Amino acid sequence: MTGARVAVLGAVRSGPSYWFESLGAMLRWYLTSMRLLLPVFVVVQMLIASGFSVGISFFFEEITSEAALFLGTGASIIALILAGVVVAPQLIASEKDAGTYDFSWSLPVPRSANVTAWVMLNAVIGIPSMVVALVIADWRLDLDFSPSWTIAPAVVLALTCGTLIGSAVAHAIDRTSITQLISQVFAFGILGFTPITYPIENLPTWLESVHRVLPFYHMGVIVRGGLTDGPGEGIWASYGIVFGWTLAAAVATALVVGRRR
Amino acid sequence: MNDWVFRAEGVTKSYDGGKTFANRDVSIEVRPGEVYGLLGPNGAGKSTFVKQIIGLLKPDTGSLHLGQHDLVADPDAARQLCSYLPQATMPIESFKVHEAVRLTGRIRGGSKSATDERCEELIDALQIREWRDTLGTKLSGGVRRLVGFIMVTVVPGRVVILDEPTNDVDPLRRRLLWEQIRLLGQMGAAVFLVTHNVLEAEKSVDRLAVISEGEVVAEGTPSSLKVADRGRLRLQLMMVPGTATPELPSMVRDHSRVGNNLMAMIDEERAGDGIAWARQAMADGLAEEYALAATTLEDAYIRLTGHISAIGAMEVAT
Repeated sequence: MTGARVAVLGAVRSGPSYWFESLGAMLRWYLTSMRLLLPVFVVVQMLIASGFSVGISFFFEEITSEAALFLGTGASIIALILAGVVVAPQLIASEKDAGTYDFSWSLPVPRSANVTAWVMLNAVIGIPSMVVALVIADWRLDLDFSPSWTIAPAVVLALTCGTLIGSAVAHAIDRTSITQLISQVFAFGILGFTPITYPIENLPTWLESVHRVLPFYHMGVIVRGGLTDGPGEGIWASYGIVFGWTLAAAVATALVVGRRR
Repeated sequence: MNDWVFRAEGVTKSYDGGKTFANRDVSIEVRPGEVYGLLGPNGAGKSTFVKQIIGLLKPDTGSLHLGQHDLVADPDAARQLCSYLPQATMPIESFKVHEAVRLTGRIRGGSKSATDERCEELIDALQIREWRDTLGTKLSGGVRRLVGFIMVTVVPGRVVILDEPTNDVDPLRRRLLWEQIRLLGQMGAAVFLVTHNVLEAEKSVDRLAVISEGEVVAEGTPSSLKVADRGRLRLQLMMVPGTATPELPSMVRDHSRVGNNLMAMIDEERAGDGIAWARQAMADGLAEEYALAATTLEDAYIRLTGHISAIGAMEVAT
Protein backbone atom coordinates (compact mmCIF):
# COMPACT_ATOMS: atom_id res chain seq x y z
CA MET A 1 0.00 0.00 0.00
CA THR A 2 1.18 3.51 -0.73
CA GLY A 3 2.46 5.43 2.22
CA ALA A 4 3.54 2.44 4.26
CA ARG A 5 6.62 4.21 5.55
CA VAL A 6 5.50 7.81 5.49
CA ALA A 7 3.31 9.03 8.31
CA VAL A 8 1.52 12.34 8.43
CA LEU A 9 3.69 14.95 10.10
CA GLY A 10 2.71 15.57 13.65
CA ALA A 11 5.64 17.34 15.22
CA VAL A 12 6.49 20.98 14.80
CA ARG A 13 10.22 21.28 14.25
CA SER A 14 12.40 24.08 15.59
CA GLY A 15 16.00 24.81 16.56
CA PRO A 16 19.27 25.32 14.68
CA SER A 17 19.38 21.97 12.86
CA TYR A 18 15.89 22.58 11.47
CA TRP A 19 16.99 26.06 10.41
CA PHE A 20 20.15 24.89 8.64
CA GLU A 21 18.44 21.92 6.98
CA SER A 22 15.77 24.30 5.71
CA LEU A 23 18.43 26.70 4.43
CA GLY A 24 20.17 23.91 2.53
CA ALA A 25 16.94 22.56 1.09
CA MET A 26 15.68 25.99 0.02
CA LEU A 27 19.03 26.88 -1.54
CA ARG A 28 18.84 23.68 -3.59
CA TRP A 29 15.23 24.55 -4.42
CA TYR A 30 16.15 28.02 -5.72
CA LEU A 31 19.26 26.88 -7.57
CA THR A 32 17.34 24.11 -9.31
CA SER A 33 14.39 26.32 -10.12
CA MET A 34 16.77 28.87 -11.64
CA ARG A 35 19.07 26.49 -13.47
CA LEU A 36 17.68 27.29 -16.91
CA LEU A 37 17.81 31.04 -16.32
CA LEU A 38 20.83 31.40 -14.05
CA PRO A 39 23.47 31.36 -16.81
CA VAL A 40 21.45 33.92 -18.76
CA PHE A 41 21.22 36.23 -15.77
CA VAL A 42 24.93 35.94 -15.08
CA VAL A 43 25.83 36.66 -18.70
CA VAL A 44 23.49 39.65 -18.92
CA GLN A 45 24.81 41.13 -15.67
CA MET A 46 28.33 40.54 -16.90
CA LEU A 47 27.65 42.25 -20.21
CA ILE A 48 26.09 45.28 -18.55
CA ALA A 49 29.05 45.72 -16.25
CA SER A 50 31.82 45.08 -18.74
CA GLY A 51 29.98 47.01 -21.45
CA PHE A 52 29.98 49.93 -19.07
CA SER A 53 33.69 49.97 -18.36
CA VAL A 54 34.76 49.14 -21.91
CA GLY A 55 32.23 51.55 -23.44
CA ILE A 56 33.23 54.51 -21.35
CA SER A 57 36.91 53.93 -22.06
CA PHE A 58 36.17 54.56 -25.75
CA PHE A 59 35.26 58.14 -24.85
CA PHE A 60 38.87 58.93 -24.00
CA GLU A 61 41.95 58.50 -26.06
CA GLU A 62 44.09 58.24 -22.98
CA ILE A 63 42.89 57.23 -19.60
CA THR A 64 44.99 57.63 -16.47
CA SER A 65 45.65 54.50 -14.47
CA GLU A 66 43.84 56.09 -11.54
CA ALA A 67 40.71 56.75 -13.62
CA ALA A 68 40.93 53.29 -15.17
CA LEU A 69 41.02 51.72 -11.73
CA PHE A 70 38.00 53.73 -10.66
CA LEU A 71 36.07 52.85 -13.78
CA GLY A 72 37.01 49.17 -13.89
CA THR A 73 36.39 48.41 -10.24
CA GLY A 74 33.27 50.56 -10.29
CA ALA A 75 31.76 48.64 -13.17
CA SER A 76 32.33 45.32 -11.41
CA ILE A 77 30.83 46.72 -8.20
CA ILE A 78 27.77 47.80 -10.18
CA ALA A 79 27.33 44.22 -11.39
CA LEU A 80 27.29 43.09 -7.78
CA ILE A 81 24.82 45.71 -6.63
CA LEU A 82 22.46 45.27 -9.57
CA ALA A 83 22.15 41.55 -8.82
CA GLY A 84 20.61 42.41 -5.48
CA VAL A 85 18.72 45.60 -6.15
CA VAL A 86 17.43 44.86 -9.66
CA VAL A 87 17.50 41.12 -10.36
CA ALA A 88 16.12 40.04 -6.96
CA PRO A 89 12.94 42.13 -7.09
CA GLN A 90 12.35 41.16 -10.70
CA LEU A 91 12.54 37.47 -9.80
CA ILE A 92 10.11 37.94 -6.92
CA ALA A 93 7.74 39.93 -9.13
CA SER A 94 7.81 37.22 -11.78
CA GLU A 95 6.93 34.64 -9.09
CA LYS A 96 3.94 36.78 -8.14
CA ASP A 97 2.92 37.10 -11.80
CA ALA A 98 3.14 33.34 -12.34
CA GLY A 99 1.05 32.70 -9.24
CA THR A 100 3.77 30.58 -7.66
CA TYR A 101 4.58 33.04 -4.87
CA ASP A 102 1.94 31.55 -2.53
CA PHE A 103 3.43 28.09 -2.89
CA SER A 104 6.99 29.26 -2.22
CA TRP A 105 5.98 31.05 0.96
CA SER A 106 3.68 28.28 2.18
CA LEU A 107 6.61 25.87 2.38
CA PRO A 108 7.33 24.67 5.92
CA VAL A 109 10.64 26.41 6.45
CA PRO A 110 11.57 29.33 8.72
CA ARG A 111 11.11 32.54 6.77
CA SER A 112 14.57 33.72 7.85
CA ALA A 113 16.13 30.57 6.36
CA ASN A 114 14.12 31.10 3.18
CA VAL A 115 15.32 34.71 2.86
CA THR A 116 18.92 33.69 3.59
CA ALA A 117 18.74 31.08 0.82
CA TRP A 118 17.43 33.83 -1.42
CA VAL A 119 20.37 36.13 -0.62
CA MET A 120 22.74 33.24 -1.37
CA LEU A 121 21.05 32.70 -4.72
CA ASN A 122 21.71 36.34 -5.54
CA ALA A 123 25.33 35.80 -4.59
CA VAL A 124 25.47 33.06 -7.21
CA ILE A 125 24.29 35.59 -9.78
CA GLY A 126 26.21 38.62 -8.51
CA ILE A 127 29.67 37.31 -7.63
CA PRO A 128 30.52 35.62 -10.96
CA SER A 129 29.22 38.71 -12.78
CA MET A 130 31.48 40.85 -10.66
CA VAL A 131 34.53 38.67 -11.18
CA VAL A 132 34.11 38.45 -14.94
CA ALA A 133 33.46 42.18 -15.20
CA LEU A 134 36.67 42.77 -13.29
CA VAL A 135 38.66 40.43 -15.52
CA ILE A 136 37.34 42.09 -18.68
CA ALA A 137 38.03 45.56 -17.29
CA ASP A 138 41.56 44.47 -16.37
CA TRP A 139 42.14 43.12 -19.86
CA ARG A 140 40.81 46.27 -21.53
CA LEU A 141 42.09 48.94 -19.12
CA ASP A 142 45.03 47.21 -17.50
CA LEU A 143 43.99 47.83 -13.91
CA ASP A 144 46.49 48.21 -11.17
CA PHE A 145 44.51 46.55 -8.39
CA SER A 146 45.58 44.59 -5.36
CA PRO A 147 42.84 42.70 -3.55
CA SER A 148 43.01 42.34 0.22
CA TRP A 149 41.13 40.11 2.66
CA THR A 150 38.53 42.82 3.19
CA ILE A 151 37.05 42.00 -0.20
CA ALA A 152 35.20 39.06 1.39
CA PRO A 153 33.21 40.89 4.08
CA ALA A 154 32.72 43.85 1.73
CA VAL A 155 31.18 41.72 -1.01
CA VAL A 156 29.00 39.77 1.42
CA LEU A 157 27.73 42.93 3.08
CA ALA A 158 27.11 44.86 -0.14
CA LEU A 159 25.34 41.91 -1.73
CA THR A 160 23.20 41.19 1.33
CA CYS A 161 22.27 44.82 1.70
CA GLY A 162 21.30 45.18 -1.96
CA THR A 163 19.34 41.94 -2.04
CA LEU A 164 17.41 42.77 1.12
CA ILE A 165 16.55 46.24 -0.15
CA GLY A 166 15.35 44.81 -3.47
CA SER A 167 13.47 41.99 -1.75
CA ALA A 168 11.74 44.27 0.75
CA VAL A 169 10.42 46.38 -2.14
CA ALA A 170 9.27 43.35 -4.13
CA HIS A 171 7.60 41.62 -1.18
CA ALA A 172 5.89 44.79 0.00
CA ILE A 173 4.35 45.83 -3.31
CA ASP A 174 1.50 43.74 -4.68
CA ARG A 175 1.39 45.30 -8.13
CA THR A 176 4.28 43.71 -9.95
CA SER A 177 4.31 46.38 -12.65
CA ILE A 178 5.20 48.92 -9.95
CA THR A 179 7.96 46.63 -8.67
CA GLN A 180 9.39 46.32 -12.19
CA LEU A 181 9.27 50.08 -12.56
CA ILE A 182 11.05 50.67 -9.26
CA SER A 183 13.76 48.17 -10.16
CA GLN A 184 14.29 50.05 -13.43
CA VAL A 185 14.63 53.30 -11.49
CA PHE A 186 17.20 51.58 -9.27
CA ALA A 187 19.05 50.36 -12.35
CA PHE A 188 19.26 53.78 -14.00
CA GLY A 189 19.92 55.52 -10.72
CA ILE A 190 22.82 53.23 -9.89
CA LEU A 191 24.30 53.10 -13.40
CA GLY A 192 24.18 56.83 -14.05
CA PHE A 193 23.68 58.85 -10.93
CA THR A 194 25.61 57.02 -8.25
CA PRO A 195 29.27 57.86 -7.68
CA ILE A 196 30.62 54.35 -8.08
CA THR A 197 32.43 54.69 -11.40
CA TYR A 198 33.43 58.31 -10.70
CA PRO A 199 34.43 60.26 -7.56
CA ILE A 200 31.60 61.56 -5.39
CA GLU A 201 33.13 65.06 -5.47
CA ASN A 202 32.14 65.31 -9.14
CA LEU A 203 28.46 65.44 -8.19
CA PRO A 204 26.46 68.57 -7.37
CA THR A 205 26.57 69.21 -3.64
CA TRP A 206 22.95 68.25 -3.00
CA LEU A 207 23.30 64.92 -4.78
CA GLU A 208 26.53 64.28 -2.97
CA SER A 209 24.80 64.73 0.40
CA VAL A 210 22.01 62.38 -0.73
CA HIS A 211 24.56 59.72 -1.59
CA ARG A 212 26.34 60.11 1.71
CA VAL A 213 23.12 58.87 3.32
CA LEU A 214 22.06 56.22 0.79
CA PRO A 215 23.92 52.88 0.88
CA PHE A 216 24.96 52.54 -2.78
CA TYR A 217 27.94 54.88 -2.80
CA HIS A 218 29.18 53.32 0.44
CA MET A 219 28.83 49.83 -1.02
CA GLY A 220 31.17 51.04 -3.74
CA VAL A 221 33.60 52.42 -1.18
CA ILE A 222 33.88 49.22 0.85
CA VAL A 223 34.15 46.88 -2.13
CA ARG A 224 36.69 49.11 -3.82
CA GLY A 225 38.61 49.20 -0.55
CA GLY A 226 38.84 45.42 -0.73
CA LEU A 227 40.00 45.55 -4.35
CA THR A 228 42.59 48.30 -4.08
CA ASP A 229 44.13 49.65 -0.96
CA GLY A 230 42.58 47.56 1.82
CA PRO A 231 40.80 48.97 4.84
CA GLY A 232 41.95 52.51 4.49
CA GLU A 233 41.05 55.36 6.77
CA GLY A 234 37.41 56.45 6.61
CA ILE A 235 36.24 53.16 5.18
CA TRP A 236 34.75 52.08 8.51
CA ALA A 237 32.15 54.83 8.35
CA SER A 238 31.04 53.37 5.02
CA TYR A 239 30.94 49.88 6.55
CA GLY A 240 28.79 51.30 9.34
CA ILE A 241 26.34 52.93 6.94
CA VAL A 242 26.00 49.82 4.74
CA PHE A 243 25.59 47.69 7.84
CA GLY A 244 22.89 50.02 9.15
CA TRP A 245 21.03 49.81 5.85
CA THR A 246 21.39 46.04 5.87
CA LEU A 247 19.80 45.85 9.31
CA ALA A 248 17.00 48.19 8.30
CA ALA A 249 16.37 46.25 5.08
CA ALA A 250 16.39 42.97 7.03
CA VAL A 251 13.77 44.31 9.42
CA ALA A 252 11.70 45.63 6.51
CA THR A 253 11.96 42.28 4.70
CA ALA A 254 10.98 40.40 7.86
CA LEU A 255 7.90 42.57 8.16
CA VAL A 256 6.73 42.20 4.58
CA VAL A 257 7.94 38.79 3.44
CA GLY A 258 5.00 36.51 2.73
CA ARG A 259 2.96 39.04 4.68
CA ARG A 260 -0.49 37.87 5.72
CA ARG A 261 -2.93 40.37 4.33
CA MET B 1 -2.24 14.83 24.17
CA ASN B 2 -3.30 16.24 20.83
CA ASP B 3 -6.58 15.25 19.20
CA TRP B 4 -5.60 16.78 15.82
CA VAL B 5 -9.14 17.96 15.16
CA PHE B 6 -9.30 21.00 12.93
CA ARG B 7 -11.60 23.71 14.24
CA ALA B 8 -12.50 27.00 12.62
CA GLU B 9 -14.69 29.30 14.66
CA GLY B 10 -16.28 32.49 13.43
CA VAL B 11 -13.62 33.16 10.81
CA THR B 12 -14.36 36.51 9.23
CA LYS B 13 -12.43 38.74 6.87
CA SER B 14 -13.63 41.89 5.19
CA TYR B 15 -12.23 44.37 2.71
CA ASP B 16 -13.03 48.00 1.99
CA GLY B 17 -13.59 48.85 5.66
CA GLY B 18 -16.16 46.12 6.25
CA LYS B 19 -18.19 46.61 3.07
CA THR B 20 -17.13 43.43 1.28
CA PHE B 21 -16.75 40.13 3.05
CA ALA B 22 -14.19 37.61 1.81
CA ASN B 23 -15.63 35.27 4.41
CA ARG B 24 -18.06 35.69 7.20
CA ASP B 25 -18.45 33.73 10.41
CA VAL B 26 -17.12 30.47 8.97
CA SER B 27 -17.20 27.69 11.58
CA ILE B 28 -16.12 24.19 10.61
CA GLU B 29 -14.81 21.14 12.41
CA VAL B 30 -12.92 18.41 10.56
CA ARG B 31 -11.60 15.24 12.16
CA PRO B 32 -8.46 13.32 11.15
CA GLY B 33 -9.29 10.88 8.36
CA GLU B 34 -12.12 12.95 6.94
CA VAL B 35 -12.20 14.21 3.38
CA TYR B 36 -14.02 17.50 3.66
CA GLY B 37 -15.31 19.35 0.62
CA LEU B 38 -15.49 23.11 0.27
CA LEU B 39 -17.93 23.79 -2.54
CA GLY B 40 -18.99 27.06 -4.00
CA PRO B 41 -18.97 29.18 -7.12
CA ASN B 42 -15.89 31.16 -8.15
CA GLY B 43 -15.26 34.01 -5.76
CA ALA B 44 -17.33 32.46 -2.96
CA GLY B 45 -14.41 32.59 -0.54
CA LYS B 46 -13.19 28.99 -0.61
CA SER B 47 -9.60 29.80 -1.50
CA THR B 48 -9.57 32.70 0.97
CA PHE B 49 -10.48 30.27 3.73
CA VAL B 50 -7.77 27.74 2.94
CA LYS B 51 -5.19 30.52 2.60
CA GLN B 52 -6.14 31.57 6.12
CA ILE B 53 -5.45 28.02 7.32
CA ILE B 54 -1.97 27.89 5.77
CA GLY B 55 -1.15 31.39 7.00
CA LEU B 56 -1.07 33.29 3.70
CA LEU B 57 -4.05 35.40 4.77
CA LYS B 58 -5.08 36.50 8.23
CA PRO B 59 -8.68 36.57 9.42
CA ASP B 60 -9.94 39.80 11.00
CA THR B 61 -11.72 37.83 13.71
CA GLY B 62 -12.27 34.20 14.57
CA SER B 63 -9.92 31.35 15.34
CA LEU B 64 -8.33 28.44 13.52
CA HIS B 65 -7.00 25.56 15.58
CA LEU B 66 -5.42 22.24 14.72
CA GLY B 67 -5.47 20.23 17.90
CA GLN B 68 -3.73 22.44 20.42
CA HIS B 69 -2.02 24.59 17.81
CA ASP B 70 -3.40 28.06 17.19
CA LEU B 71 -2.84 28.44 13.45
CA VAL B 72 -3.55 32.19 13.38
CA ALA B 73 -1.10 33.00 16.18
CA ASP B 74 1.53 30.56 14.94
CA PRO B 75 1.75 30.57 11.13
CA ASP B 76 5.10 28.75 11.29
CA ALA B 77 3.34 25.76 12.87
CA ALA B 78 0.53 26.12 10.32
CA ARG B 79 3.00 25.80 7.44
CA GLN B 80 4.60 22.74 8.99
CA LEU B 81 1.40 20.94 9.94
CA CYS B 82 -0.54 21.67 6.75
CA SER B 83 0.31 20.76 3.16
CA TYR B 84 -1.10 23.07 0.52
CA LEU B 85 -1.68 22.52 -3.18
CA PRO B 86 -2.63 25.95 -4.53
CA GLN B 87 -4.94 26.42 -7.46
CA ALA B 88 -2.15 28.12 -9.40
CA THR B 89 0.43 26.15 -11.32
CA MET B 90 3.49 24.85 -9.49
CA PRO B 91 6.91 26.47 -10.07
CA ILE B 92 8.60 23.36 -11.45
CA GLU B 93 9.68 24.45 -14.95
CA SER B 94 13.33 23.64 -14.30
CA PHE B 95 12.76 20.52 -12.25
CA LYS B 96 12.55 16.95 -13.38
CA VAL B 97 9.44 15.40 -11.87
CA HIS B 98 11.28 13.25 -9.35
CA GLU B 99 13.56 16.12 -8.36
CA ALA B 100 10.64 18.40 -7.58
CA VAL B 101 8.95 15.72 -5.49
CA ARG B 102 12.01 14.59 -3.58
CA LEU B 103 13.15 18.11 -2.83
CA THR B 104 9.75 19.20 -1.52
CA GLY B 105 9.68 16.01 0.56
CA ARG B 106 12.99 17.03 2.11
CA ILE B 107 11.76 20.59 2.63
CA ARG B 108 8.71 19.11 4.35
CA GLY B 109 10.98 17.30 6.78
CA GLY B 110 10.75 13.77 5.40
CA SER B 111 13.71 11.43 5.71
CA LYS B 112 15.57 10.84 2.46
CA SER B 113 14.83 7.13 2.12
CA ALA B 114 11.14 7.33 3.04
CA THR B 115 10.63 10.34 0.77
CA ASP B 116 12.34 8.67 -2.18
CA GLU B 117 10.32 5.52 -1.67
CA ARG B 118 6.97 7.26 -1.47
CA CYS B 119 7.90 9.46 -4.45
CA GLU B 120 8.30 6.35 -6.62
CA GLU B 121 5.13 4.79 -5.17
CA LEU B 122 3.00 7.83 -5.95
CA ILE B 123 4.51 8.16 -9.44
CA ASP B 124 3.37 4.59 -10.09
CA ALA B 125 0.03 4.99 -8.34
CA LEU B 126 -0.89 7.95 -10.55
CA GLN B 127 0.63 6.31 -13.64
CA ILE B 128 3.01 9.08 -14.59
CA ARG B 129 6.23 7.05 -14.60
CA GLU B 130 6.94 7.90 -18.24
CA TRP B 131 7.42 11.54 -17.18
CA ARG B 132 9.55 10.81 -14.11
CA ASP B 133 12.68 12.31 -15.69
CA THR B 134 10.93 14.99 -17.73
CA LEU B 135 11.44 18.70 -17.07
CA GLY B 136 8.43 20.66 -15.84
CA THR B 137 8.40 22.85 -18.96
CA LYS B 138 7.59 19.81 -21.07
CA LEU B 139 4.68 18.51 -19.00
CA SER B 140 1.02 18.88 -19.91
CA GLY B 141 -1.23 20.78 -17.53
CA GLY B 142 -2.80 17.60 -16.20
CA VAL B 143 0.49 15.84 -15.46
CA ARG B 144 1.83 19.00 -13.86
CA ARG B 145 -1.23 19.04 -11.62
CA LEU B 146 -0.57 15.45 -10.57
CA VAL B 147 3.07 16.24 -9.88
CA GLY B 148 1.89 19.13 -7.70
CA PHE B 149 -0.30 16.71 -5.79
CA ILE B 150 2.61 14.34 -5.24
CA MET B 151 4.85 17.22 -4.14
CA VAL B 152 2.48 18.32 -1.39
CA THR B 153 1.54 14.83 -0.24
CA VAL B 154 4.87 13.01 -0.46
CA VAL B 155 5.23 13.98 3.20
CA PRO B 156 1.68 14.93 4.11
CA GLY B 157 0.77 17.28 6.94
CA ARG B 158 -1.97 16.69 9.48
CA VAL B 159 -4.14 18.82 7.24
CA VAL B 160 -3.85 18.46 3.48
CA ILE B 161 -5.40 21.28 1.48
CA LEU B 162 -6.10 20.58 -2.17
CA ASP B 163 -7.41 23.52 -4.18
CA GLU B 164 -9.03 22.13 -7.35
CA PRO B 165 -6.67 19.13 -7.56
CA THR B 166 -8.36 17.48 -10.53
CA ASN B 167 -8.20 20.48 -12.88
CA ASP B 168 -6.90 19.43 -16.33
CA VAL B 169 -6.45 15.82 -15.18
CA ASP B 170 -7.73 13.12 -17.55
CA PRO B 171 -10.65 10.92 -16.36
CA LEU B 172 -8.55 7.78 -15.78
CA ARG B 173 -5.93 9.48 -13.65
CA ARG B 174 -8.62 11.51 -11.95
CA ARG B 175 -9.93 8.24 -10.51
CA LEU B 176 -6.45 7.26 -9.41
CA LEU B 177 -6.08 10.67 -7.79
CA TRP B 178 -9.29 10.19 -5.83
CA GLU B 179 -7.97 6.88 -4.54
CA GLN B 180 -4.85 8.61 -3.26
CA ILE B 181 -6.92 11.35 -1.65
CA ARG B 182 -8.92 8.67 0.21
CA LEU B 183 -5.66 7.03 1.27
CA LEU B 184 -4.47 10.31 2.77
CA GLY B 185 -7.52 10.13 5.00
CA GLN B 186 -6.59 6.60 5.98
CA MET B 187 -3.11 7.82 6.90
CA GLY B 188 -4.77 10.12 9.40
CA ALA B 189 -4.76 13.43 7.57
CA ALA B 190 -7.77 15.72 7.46
CA VAL B 191 -8.19 16.55 3.78
CA PHE B 192 -9.72 19.81 2.59
CA LEU B 193 -10.91 19.58 -0.95
CA VAL B 194 -11.76 22.86 -2.64
CA THR B 195 -13.79 22.40 -5.78
CA HIS B 196 -16.62 23.68 -7.88
CA ASN B 197 -17.13 20.28 -9.46
CA VAL B 198 -20.15 19.16 -7.50
CA LEU B 199 -20.66 15.71 -9.01
CA GLU B 200 -17.09 14.74 -8.35
CA ALA B 201 -17.28 15.98 -4.78
CA GLU B 202 -20.51 14.10 -4.17
CA LYS B 203 -18.73 10.82 -4.85
CA SER B 204 -15.57 11.60 -2.94
CA VAL B 205 -16.11 13.60 0.21
CA ASP B 206 -17.29 12.49 3.63
CA ARG B 207 -18.75 15.85 4.50
CA LEU B 208 -18.86 19.21 2.86
CA ALA B 209 -19.70 22.84 3.30
CA VAL B 210 -21.39 24.83 0.58
CA ILE B 211 -19.97 28.35 0.59
CA SER B 212 -21.69 31.26 -1.07
CA GLU B 213 -20.61 34.89 -0.82
CA GLY B 214 -18.22 34.05 1.99
CA GLU B 215 -20.72 32.26 4.19
CA VAL B 216 -21.34 28.59 4.86
CA VAL B 217 -24.90 28.16 3.60
CA ALA B 218 -25.11 24.42 4.22
CA GLU B 219 -22.97 21.77 5.86
CA GLY B 220 -23.23 18.01 6.22
CA THR B 221 -22.82 14.74 4.37
CA PRO B 222 -23.70 14.70 0.66
CA SER B 223 -26.84 12.67 1.49
CA SER B 224 -27.99 15.02 4.22
CA LEU B 225 -27.78 17.96 1.83
CA LYS B 226 -30.00 16.13 -0.62
CA VAL B 227 -32.77 15.46 1.91
CA ALA B 228 -34.88 18.33 0.61
CA ASP B 229 -34.87 16.69 -2.83
CA ARG B 230 -35.83 13.24 -1.61
CA GLY B 231 -38.76 11.76 -3.52
CA ARG B 232 -38.09 14.04 -6.44
CA LEU B 233 -36.58 13.60 -9.86
CA ARG B 234 -34.77 16.03 -12.05
CA LEU B 235 -36.28 16.60 -15.47
CA GLN B 236 -33.80 18.40 -17.62
CA LEU B 237 -34.61 19.95 -20.98
CA MET B 238 -32.14 21.35 -23.49
CA MET B 239 -34.16 24.21 -24.89
CA VAL B 240 -33.83 25.32 -28.50
CA PRO B 241 -31.59 28.39 -28.38
CA GLY B 242 -33.58 31.57 -28.27
CA THR B 243 -36.82 30.09 -26.99
CA ALA B 244 -38.42 31.40 -23.84
CA THR B 245 -39.11 29.10 -20.89
CA PRO B 246 -42.56 27.63 -21.51
CA GLU B 247 -45.30 27.70 -18.93
CA LEU B 248 -44.53 24.96 -16.44
CA PRO B 249 -47.15 22.39 -15.37
CA SER B 250 -48.18 22.20 -11.73
CA MET B 251 -46.12 19.05 -11.08
CA VAL B 252 -42.92 21.12 -11.32
CA ARG B 253 -41.93 21.88 -7.75
CA ASP B 254 -38.94 23.99 -8.50
CA HIS B 255 -37.01 24.98 -11.59
CA SER B 256 -34.00 26.86 -12.77
CA ARG B 257 -32.67 27.78 -16.17
CA VAL B 258 -29.08 28.45 -17.06
CA GLY B 259 -28.55 29.24 -20.72
CA ASN B 260 -30.54 26.69 -22.66
CA ASN B 261 -30.54 24.27 -19.77
CA LEU B 262 -33.90 24.04 -18.02
CA MET B 263 -34.01 21.95 -14.87
CA ALA B 264 -37.34 21.11 -13.33
CA MET B 265 -37.80 19.16 -10.09
CA ILE B 266 -40.82 16.87 -10.18
CA ASP B 267 -42.29 14.33 -7.76
CA GLU B 268 -41.27 10.75 -8.42
CA GLU B 269 -44.85 9.54 -8.89
CA ARG B 270 -45.42 12.09 -11.65
CA ALA B 271 -42.48 10.83 -13.72
CA GLY B 272 -44.75 9.62 -16.53
CA ASP B 273 -46.49 12.98 -16.79
CA GLY B 274 -43.16 14.71 -16.77
CA ILE B 275 -41.89 12.66 -19.70
CA ALA B 276 -45.08 13.31 -21.62
CA TRP B 277 -44.71 17.05 -21.03
CA ALA B 278 -41.07 17.01 -22.11
CA ARG B 279 -41.91 15.08 -25.29
CA GLN B 280 -44.61 17.58 -26.07
CA ALA B 281 -42.12 20.43 -25.65
CA MET B 282 -39.86 18.68 -28.18
CA ALA B 283 -42.78 18.13 -30.55
CA ASP B 284 -43.61 21.83 -30.28
CA GLY B 285 -40.06 22.68 -31.27
CA LEU B 286 -39.21 24.25 -27.91
CA ALA B 287 -36.74 21.65 -26.65
CA GLU B 288 -34.08 19.60 -28.41
CA GLU B 289 -33.73 16.78 -25.91
CA TYR B 290 -34.57 15.84 -22.40
CA ALA B 291 -33.29 13.63 -19.59
CA LEU B 292 -34.91 12.33 -16.45
CA ALA B 293 -32.54 11.55 -13.62
CA ALA B 294 -32.24 11.09 -9.90
CA THR B 295 -31.49 14.27 -8.05
CA THR B 296 -27.86 14.87 -7.24
CA LEU B 297 -25.95 17.15 -4.98
CA GLU B 298 -25.96 19.51 -7.94
CA ASP B 299 -29.62 20.26 -7.34
CA ALA B 300 -29.02 21.13 -3.71
CA TYR B 301 -26.05 23.20 -4.79
CA ILE B 302 -28.13 25.18 -7.28
CA ARG B 303 -30.80 25.74 -4.67
CA LEU B 304 -28.27 26.94 -2.10
CA THR B 305 -26.02 29.10 -4.20
CA GLY B 306 -28.17 30.12 -7.14
CA HIS B 307 -25.30 28.96 -9.35
CA ILE B 308 -24.96 26.00 -11.61
CA SER B 309 -21.73 24.06 -11.46
CA ALA B 310 -20.96 24.09 -15.16
CA ILE B 311 -19.29 20.71 -15.18
CA GLY B 312 -22.08 18.99 -13.28
CA ALA B 313 -24.85 20.32 -15.48
CA MET B 314 -23.12 19.29 -18.68
CA GLU B 315 -22.49 15.79 -17.46
CA VAL B 316 -26.12 15.38 -16.49
CA ALA B 317 -27.34 16.80 -19.76
CA THR B 318 -25.35 14.54 -22.04
